[in-house]
Amino acid sequence: MLQPTDLELEAIRLSLRVAFWSVACSLPVAVAVAWVLARTRFPGKILLDGLVHLPLVVPPVVVGFILLVLFGRRGPIGGWLYDTFGITIIFTWKGAALAAAVMAFPLMVRAIRLSLEAVDRRLEAAARTLGARRFDVFMTVTLPLMTPGILAGVVLAFARSLGEFGATITFVSNIPGETRTIPVAIYTLTQTPDGDVGALRLSIIAVILALIALVASELLARRVNARIAG
Amino acid sequence: MTQTSRRVLLALLTCLVLAMAGPAQAKDLLVFAAASLKNAAEDIGKAYEASGGGKVNYSFAASSDLAKQIENGAPAGIYISADTKWMDYLTERKLIAADSRRDLLGNRLVLIAPADSTLAIKLAAGAPLAQALGDGKLAMADPDSVPAGRYGKAALESLQLWSSVEPAVVRAKDVRATLTFVERGEAAAGIVYATDAMVSKKVRIVDEFPASSHPKIVYPIALIAGQDDAAAHAFYDYLVGPKARGVFLDYGFSIIGAGAATN
Repeated sequence: MLQPTDLELEAIRLSLRVAFWSVACSLPVAVAVAWVLARTRFPGKILLDGLVHLPLVVPPVVVGFILLVLFGRRGPIGGWLYDTFGITIIFTWKGAALAAAVMAFPLMVRAIRLSLEAVDRRLEAAARTLGARRFDVFMTVTLPLMTPGILAGVVLAFARSLGEFGATITFVSNIPGETRTIPVAIYTLTQTPDGDVGALRLSIIAVILALIALVASELLARRVNARIAG
Repeated sequence: MTQTSRRVLLALLTCLVLAMAGPAQAKDLLVFAAASLKNAAEDIGKAYEASGGGKVNYSFAASSDLAKQIENGAPAGIYISADTKWMDYLTERKLIAADSRRDLLGNRLVLIAPADSTLAIKLAAGAPLAQALGDGKLAMADPDSVPAGRYGKAALESLQLWSSVEPAVVRAKDVRATLTFVERGEAAAGIVYATDAMVSKKVRIVDEFPASSHPKIVYPIALIAGQDDAAAHAFYDYLVGPKARGVFLDYGFSIIGAGAATN
């Protein structure tokens, strides 16, 4: 009864893989963007800020459609990737990871940016006076101080990636074992006449996974706060 | 309680009552219709409003989606499904108004390709569809639940093509999402209704599935139990009447039980 079925295991495994790659690939970009937003001033910064947060407020189906237009085989980016490297994004789990990464990106940037803003800049200045170059300061002082915030961002983005549905189904559709992640599998089951029990089981699994991630994120956030206070 | 606070309370209560009464009075008719009906049904709704009928709002989605929403209490007055199975589903649960169910429309199933594609195939038993697709995808609505996908899978199975093309199948959430994938050239081919292919300039019909290869495509219509007010009845009569029939025919649907519908 409590044993997960093969179908459920397939969806869970796929979701974990998609979420892992979504987070792994967007993390360096998120750190860079967070740094730009926290530390630099330039005209149009407010636009970049808005652009980064767009996936939070735009309907997911719009994000999915934009990805379809850009990353499809006939899209400008997707076409180039296919012609140059033979990589197909659309209708593959890579596309699901891309959709999840875009949707989770604002959450990740926010968490990282907050931790970056909490870094005591006098410590960086001290490292500079001791002769460290800018990049070394970032790698040996700033980044370690940001670690809890980065971890919190990673966990939050991971949880969001696990739950991505709207952009995913619009962009990479619903292919068993390839793009049918937990939310898409739940949607499929709700469409099936006697799928309610199965949908409920998977929903519970989704809730548990999300809860684990959120609790982990909260615990990490507390550590950040403790550090700032200390 | 002072005079002022009593007045304030009264004013608040009045607001509350008005707020609750407001939407109920202004409630427009909501029609749940299969995604494939989009263009035709919208035209009919506009014509109905222009002819002095009440306001009609639509929700278009996969028939399976809509049936599940109605089961969960969605405030729809009329439901038009793209197959009998999902109407049966609501009938069994006594969610449609007694005696209001009737078969309204018929349709045909076609294989489409992007307008600039050279894909050519004659749909017959054992046809080399998998070879024609190459490494391209075949888009269709979810063959496990959505009517267009179920008809499509049945047709491919009876032509003994399903097992060879199944790995290439991309499951879209409804028939119009299927159309989008083919329009954009992301799928090499797709299975949609003839009426869907006709509303898009970006796809062309490769071939029509033999009518004998899949269950007859039937669109039943019914009023939803408990939601069948005068507005719903009036639009229902319009939908099964001659004016709507003309629009449906223009969009390529066939009329079922035309004799019975002459009112």
